[in-house]
Amino acid sequence: MSALLEATEKALELLISGDEALWQIIAISFKVSGSAILIATPPALLIAFALAYLRFPGRRVLVSLFSTLLSVPAVVVGLTLYLLLSNRGPLGDWRLLFTQSAMVLGQIALAFPILVAMGHAALQSADKRAWETARTLGASPLRAFFVVIRETRFGLLAALLAAYGRIIAEVGASMMLGGNILNYTRNIPTAIALETSKGEFAQGIALGAILLLLAFTLNGLLHYVQGKGVQTS
Amino acid sequence: MKPEYHLQVSRLCKNHGRRLILNELEFSLPKGSCTLLTGENGAGKTTLLRILANLEKPDRGRLRLTEQPWQPWRKMRRTLQQRVMYLHQHPYMFNGTVEYNLRFALGSRVPQRDAEPLIGKAIRLIGMEAFRKTAARTLSGGERQRVALARAWLRSPQVMLLDEPTANLDYESRQRTLELLQRLRNDGMTLVIASHDPLHFEGLTEQRLHLQAGKIEAVALNMNPAAQPANVVSMRRDYA
Repeated sequence: MSALLEATEKALELLISGDEALWQIIAISFKVSGSAILIATPPALLIAFALAYLRFPGRRVLVSLFSTLLSVPAVVVGLTLYLLLSNRGPLGDWRLLFTQSAMVLGQIALAFPILVAMGHAALQSADKRAWETARTLGASPLRAFFVVIRETRFGLLAALLAAYGRIIAEVGASMMLGGNILNYTRNIPTAIALETSKGEFAQGIALGAILLLLAFTLNGLLHYVQGKGVQTS
Repeated sequence: MKPEYHLQVSRLCKNHGRRLILNELEFSLPKGSCTLLTGENGAGKTTLLRILANLEKPDRGRLRLTEQPWQPWRKMRRTLQQRVMYLHQHPYMFNGTVEYNLRFALGSRVPQRDAEPLIGKAIRLIGMEAFRKTAARTLSGGERQRVALARAWLRSPQVMLLDEPTANLDYESRQRTLELLQRLRNDGMTLVIASHDPLHFEGLTEQRLHLQAGKIEAVALNMNPAAQPANVVSMRRDYA
């Protein structure tokens, strides 16, 4: 028990003292996951919109596919991308393995189905009269699209927060694709895994506290935006 | 004198799956007239209005707009979108104020300095000056209907299609809506009103189209110029 208390005390010290290595790990986490979300969101929203508003052959199959992809474990995504990006893989020439770009790719692959499935659910349940009213009022298809996005923004923001929460805390894909290289590809979850395996709990606890704080903030935000969505509907 | 038509429809067909909804419809909408569209539930009234507003595609059909040759429907869809306005039975209000909803109808084609007087005129038209900054979604059904009418009016459509515009409205809201419709008609707008309650629109409509089993079964003409109350003020606006 005293060892745990001691480690916690040291963790707080690391956080408060602004330990450079620790904050570097945190910065890498936010940079990689932020990039992944920024890249994945626009195409995911377009696909979600197409699935919700257009009728085309194979639409239902695609909806089922994205729902299925929600439950694919991060290590499977990591393994698949590892095989593609490794020297002997078809994308080996890109030399992306063990880089932040590879981690971003892995996190995009994880976030994409969440953004599409949750985005589709939000758009599907939205009032179709929003699109029709915008169109009859002379809006171009692009403007009407942004109208629908605006009208469903709380549901879509919830999808974005859920996807961000998932990728910033995942360890499997980041470990396999980034290689856990200090000051380069070591992010919060991979650092926690490493420090714990070394028996160095202080940094692990400090980083865990950051993740918990982030999870708490994201959940708070999620409840807030969902509440706003109900209020304005 | 030969009547002038805003819109003439020929051989209009629509199936929903195997169910025939509209079967070779033929009808015309005289310019500046008010047409009442009646029929039982499921007769195809809303489908017909939605096709006319380009919200649904027909399976087949031809269309002729004022002084223009007959064209296949697919060639006229863009023109329909520009000239015809459809109002849902329960109008959709965008998340924002009444002013935002009205401003939306003007789009970016009207600069702010020109938009302001138009919005003011539209708000006066519906008698809702006090509601300008009110969240549109907090309005009652009757108030929403009036905002939707003003919003549509700002688009200056030639033809306005209204789906059950007085359904579920109390007496006062209904009267206000009818008065607004009368004003629009006086301004030369062609109106088509789908309704289960023909009595509500007695005196306003000149033509009645009755849909039954996919056909327009009866066309009752009731030219009634005495429909115009003396106190109705023209709110005609210049077409942009």
